[in-house]
Amino acid sequence: MNDLAAAVAAPLASVDGRTKIKVRDVHFYYNGFHALKGVSMDIPEKQVTAIIGPSGCGKSTLLRIFNRIYAIYPKLEAKGSIELDGENILDPGYSMNRLRSKVGMVFQKPVPFPMTIFENVAYGIRHHEKLSKSDMESRVEQALRSSALWDEVKDKLKQNALGLSGGQQQRLCIARAIALKPEVLLLDEPTSALDPIATSRIEQLVEELKSEFTIVIVTHNMQQAARVSDYTAFMYIGELIEFGNTEKIFTKPDKKQTEDYITGRFG
Amino acid sequence: MSGTDKDHIIKSYDSELARLTGEIVRMGELSVTQLEAAIDVLDRRDERAAQRVVGNDDAIDQLEQEISHDVVRLLALRAPMAGDLRNVFAALRIAADIERIGDYAANVAKRSIPLSMVAPVGPVGGLGYLAELAATGVREVLLAYRDRDAERAYQVWKDDVVLDEAYTGYFRQLLTYMMEDPRNITPCTHLLFMAKNIERIGDHATNIAENVWFQVTGEQLNKQRSKRDLTSSPDMSRLGDKPE
Repeated sequence: MNDLAAAVAAPLASVDGRTKIKVRDVHFYYNGFHALKGVSMDIPEKQVTAIIGPSGCGKSTLLRIFNRIYAIYPKLEAKGSIELDGENILDPGYSMNRLRSKVGMVFQKPVPFPMTIFENVAYGIRHHEKLSKSDMESRVEQALRSSALWDEVKDKLKQNALGLSGGQQQRLCIARAIALKPEVLLLDEPTSALDPIATSRIEQLVEELKSEFTIVIVTHNMQQAARVSDYTAFMYIGELIEFGNTEKIFTKPDKKQTEDYITGRFG
Repeated sequence: MSGTDKDHIIKSYDSELARLTGEIVRMGELSVTQLEAAIDVLDRRDERAAQRVVGNDDAIDQLEQEISHDVVRLLALRAPMAGDLRNVFAALRIAADIERIGDYAANVAKRSIPLSMVAPVGPVGGLGYLAELAATGVREVLLAYRDRDAERAYQVWKDDVVLDEAYTGYFRQLLTYMMEDPRNITPCTHLLFMAKNIERIGDHATNIAENVWFQVTGEQLNKQRSKRDLTSSPDMSRLGDKPE
């Protein structure tokens, strides 16, 4: 098949890919507040899924349930099931260590540890694996290369990570997350504190990383969701309003609420 | 999904989109007026008025440029999404169709000039009927666009068949005149081109209807429509055997 024919025949986004995370009827409560009200969706494997919605809609809450980070706080409760490769991660028997090694997370504000660039990446690996010095060096290099930071830091690996720019710090946090070879990468507004150039670098990185990882990104920036994701979920006041192919959501959403939100009519 | 009735949070965005709609409707009105003026100067055999109609096409071209500019501006500064995106995209395409309608109307006026220099021929009057059908189609589709009325646009799309049939009939009529007397060949050839221009105006009205449909529904208008412009079919070559 020639290139043109292949381009015509290629689907815009696979809708029948394998499901990595199966979210079923998830409810979440904190201090009695019902923050998520029966959310169900299928997150496809090795694709980018964006979660959008106004502040307080529950998008970050949902993301945080995917690696049970809420469990460190008291009085928080999640109901329903979230199956990662068929196993319910909300099951108390599901090992937290195992979950954290499978599901990495990057937050809005880059928070490097106050240690060297090398140690920032190596720290988490040591927690999970015992590697020889050379193996560790190659693993750190691989993570820094994957996060498109290697060329900028290879000559200063022993310097303090706090000396990096905001965009570099965020890519370091991504390197730290992917150094553990997770299967899922959760990004919670990863560029909201970055300038446009640093933002573009992260978006390019997301595009490259999706061949290896299932990525879920929460963003307030709708153009960003449109640019980087294959699927988009729109949430409002704790409910999933619409989930679908990103192109469809941004050109012809099925629900009026989605249309109102993405066209800037919400209010 | 038929869009939304809510205003944008940013009010100036609403006024920019409303301005775009207004420009399209104004441009469309101007093109229909041009078509009617072209038929009028033909009937009156007024060469100077015909020149004015030809010159007026510049105003339509100017409006198209303004619309293109506004569309690029909206895309760059507002990054429209969903229904807004379809709205802006449709506006650009509709403006291009109206610009062509204006060109065809100017062509009709231009050809009226040589016609006014020869003795009147019988079938001139038939052109007015074609123009009336085309003008009605364009006006209707402009209203459908203004009101975001997909069904009304669809009706225009379907009704183009009437213009096609009328054009085919007129084509036959002109052929018989030409066969009857070779002195009719020059004016009838001009009339044939003018009729074809008007038939093409109808086609552009259907293009606009398709864009209105897309704008409102987000779907392409893929329905089947019978083709009634039969002038290019082989049967027409045998027309001389059985004059009407």
